[in-house]
Amino acid sequence: MAERPEDLNLPNAVITRIIKEALPDGVNISKEARSAISRAASVFVLYATSCANNFAMKGKRKTLNASDVLSAMEEMEFQRFIVPLKEALEAYRREQKGKKEASEQKKKDKDKKTDSEEQDKNRDEDNDEDEERLEEEEQNEEEEVDN
Amino acid sequence: MAAAAAAESGTPREEDGLGGEAATPQPQAPTNAPGARLSRLPLARVKALVKADPDVTLAGQEAIFILARAAELFVETIAKDAYCCAQQGKRKTLQRRDLDNAIEAVDEFAFLEGTLD
Repeated sequence: MAERPEDLNLPNAVITRIIKEALPDGVNISKEARSAISRAASVFVLYATSCANNFAMKGKRKTLNASDVLSAMEEMEFQRFIVPLKEALEAYRREQKGKKEASEQKKKDKDKKTDSEEQDKNRDEDNDEDEERLEEEEQNEEEEVDN
Repeated sequence: MAAAAAAESGTPREEDGLGGEAATPQPQAPTNAPGARLSRLPLARVKALVKADPDVTLAGQEAIFILARAAELFVETIAKDAYCCAQQGKRKTLQRRDLDNAIEAVDEFAFLEGTLD
């Protein structure tokens, strides 16, 4: 699959949904218009990435961060996006923090359990099953030979 | 006391649930947490676009997320601007030419010129 940057499209279903929710009820969109918007969105991301990367390089950093993207928005004259993006970022950070704490808690609980005992039990059961399978296979082979 | 008596006697019929008015299956993805609808665009695809840039070394997760959200806002914005053109033509279907008109008319969309063909 040739992956030129322009060909990396975002999923049509999601794009369509965003468009429909932005427009009043009863308004439709032609297939050509929808795919053009999808393409435009990809170009937007590529352009924003390039702008953001300039800011990162200015700051002598190799990793793009959120503020680089926000600076890019301003550079691209999409200032109206900045406030909603900042709000989304805060919500995202809160969610990530919650997830991290939840997974750390799970890890702690797991370590407390005595895992070693459970592992020994499982091993014994597995050995029994293997032996039964071997016996069945041998019987089958004998039958075929007779025929 | 009165409240307790009322609770015992009144068993709402709606809870019998014969399934006559079952909730229509919604095409939207299930939202488990209240903040789950932060971004509809899959971050993996956005990340692929970002990586396509040869000058980019690394991009943090937050950067990818904001780009995804910005792309959503962009789609909303351009759809609305294109719709203004369609409205003038008294049409209810957005056509490709509405988009082209919006791109020409709005300065911020100048970067799109020549890229959609």
